Amino acid sequence: MAKTILTVDDSASIRQMVSFTLKEAGYTVTEAVDGQDGLDKARSGKFDLIFTDQNMPRMDGLSLIKQLRALPTYKSVPILMLTTESSDAMKSQGRAVGATGWLVKPFDPAKLLEVVRKVIG
Amino acid sequence: MQHGFEEVLAPNLYYDRHFEMDAVKILPGEYYVSTREILMVTVLGSCVGACIRDRIRGIGGINHFMLPDDKREDNERFSRSMRYGDYAMEILINQLIKLGARRSNLEAKVFGGGNVLPGFKNHVVGERNAEFVIEYLTTEGIPVVARDLLGNYPRKVYFFPTSGRVLVKKLRSMHNDTIIERELSYSETLRRAKVEGEVELFS
Repeated sequence: MAKTILTVDDSASIRQMVSFTLKEAGYTVTEAVDGQDGLDKARSGKFDLIFTDQNMPRMDGLSLIKQLRALPTYKSVPILMLTTESSDAMKSQGRAVGATGWLVKPFDPAKLLEVVRKVIG
Repeated sequence: MQHGFEEVLAPNLYYDRHFEMDAVKILPGEYYVSTREILMVTVLGSCVGACIRDRIRGIGGINHFMLPDDKREDNERFSRSMRYGDYAMEILINQLIKLGARRSNLEAKVFGGGNVLPGFKNHVVGERNAEFVIEYLTTEGIPVVARDLLGNYPRKVYFFPTSGRVLVKKLRSMHNDTIIERELSYSETLRRAKVEGEVELFS
């Protein structure tokens, strides 16, 4: 069965681009428009991997990861930040709340897939 | 320019004697955002500039960018050059949101995309930039409330972010090649840059 990926981003352009890249590679993708929507969708399903942006309305990426890590279902599921934020301070916060990795936009689709394969096969 | 492909906060602040107010000059590859009334000024040749503001809270910002000239795949929606355009726009929108703007309140005025650079493939650089910015804002659901795009001349744009007012001066004659030189240098920087962010796995 195809692995499932949740992509959380308030930018429709980025969601389209990430979804297109992942679907082409055979993954099943669900989109969420902000952190709260991401949390709701994560709760109602079980995803193998989650991508999240940082700066979003209602709930940002770091808060989302914190909330997800408190849920037994997502304690060890890989969660990758995909964001324009590139400072070491932000990355440290990401690591502290339990992010699996940090990808800085703009992203290269081939590299994105390389990372996905590395973390979920 | 000192930076690579990264969009940077415009550092050129000055006092504009004509408008009698603080102002900031935005060069290619730069953006600026503010919660206060500061005049944002940029000169656009084939580049485009998006003036985006929260129409309720009066928080506004502007950018100045072009798509990298990617000869292999430049018209594909998910090509390297389009991804760079998405990034340039997202940087501006993120900064506005950080200042307290609401995505649902955003509106845009877009300018530039003139046919002013010599020697570029089919002379459609400006057209591509103009098409991109409109398509991007449509996808994002951000209404474009004013536009002045294309044509054969550069434009000087004055953006007053809290009120949203924009003045555009069409530069029918150029006294020197500064605009073209800056854009060519920016284009060359983008062409050489990898235009992709770092990847780091924590465990």
